[in-house]
Amino acid sequence: RSPAGRGMAAAAFERRVLRRAAEHHYLRVRLELPDGGARPNAAQFKQLVVTALRELHGEVGAALPFDVLTYEEKTLSAILRVISSGLVKLWSALTLLGFYQNRRCAFRVLQTSPFLLALSGNSRELVLD
Amino acid sequence: HAALSRRYVLCEVVSEDPRCRQCIEDRALGLAVRDAIARVHGDYGLACCSISFTGAGEAGSPGGAGSLRVRSPVRVSPAVKYLNAYTGTVLLRCRKDSYRLLCSALPFVRYLESRAQRYPCFLNTLHVGGTIRTCQKFLIQYNRTQLLRLLHNCTNEEERQCIQKSLLSCSLTEEQSQSGDEEEDDGTE
Repeated sequence: RSPAGRGMAAAAFERRVLRRAAEHHYLRVRLELPDGGARPNAAQFKQLVVTALRELHGEVGAALPFDVLTYEEKTLSAILRVISSGLVKLWSALTLLGFYQNRRCAFRVLQTSPFLLALSGNSRELVLD
Repeated sequence: HAALSRRYVLCEVVSEDPRCRQCIEDRALGLAVRDAIARVHGDYGLACCSISFTGAGEAGSPGGAGSLRVRSPVRVSPAVKYLNAYTGTVLLRCRKDSYRLLCSALPFVRYLESRAQRYPCFLNTLHVGGTIRTCQKFLIQYNRTQLLRLLHNCTNEEERQCIQKSLLSCSLTEEQSQSGDEEEDDGTE
């Protein structure tokens, strides 16, 4: 649809759609440890995710480059960043992880987005006054 | 309706130890390849390639708690389709969607184990084909060139005579059940 007025030269209208253009995907996850035992620190948390990847996807999965951008030991929630082609592997590995040091655990993926800014707001936890 | 496409990977077992030839058998090889896939690609890769050396398919991860073996009525035929212990040629079969997983795991096979003996070796991938027939055609051609190369690399005269004699005495015999011979047999070791 050209936004040209009458008497003006028609401006070219171009629409570009980029699919899967984002390099990284960001995941906000929370680790649930129902028993009140010792909580993992950041390094142990990353090791846990690497272990999950290794179990499901082998050495190739364990070598998948991902980053733990933030980690809160109190709530056991973290923001992970992974290359877009590895999102399926990471998410499936997190889903199927069942044990941390022989203790039952589960990963809950709260939000995911190709943009980090989108993780700052969560409409699920929105409280309407 | 979509047909189940397969890929056949032709490889040869190369080893410095001459005793390795005696453990080139389908069970040992199937196990070794299966282990390599499990290490490199995990539970997902193992299930994708569904390499089985017994008659039934494996259900459940081998490393999980409580390995459950379910005998399904659909039998998965073994993945090692052809073996030649003299030349060390192996033909493996897998699905077309996951042949890349198999091929990328083959360099991680470092030894063959049988009867509590381990022999270091490696697998050299020769050809990937869609049917057994194309792999057979390639193998015949490859063996021809290999024989000529062996002849060329002969060090002493009596080896040369021996090879020439066995080459000239090779002949194709028409079998009743199958058409043609598998390949010209490597008469020399």
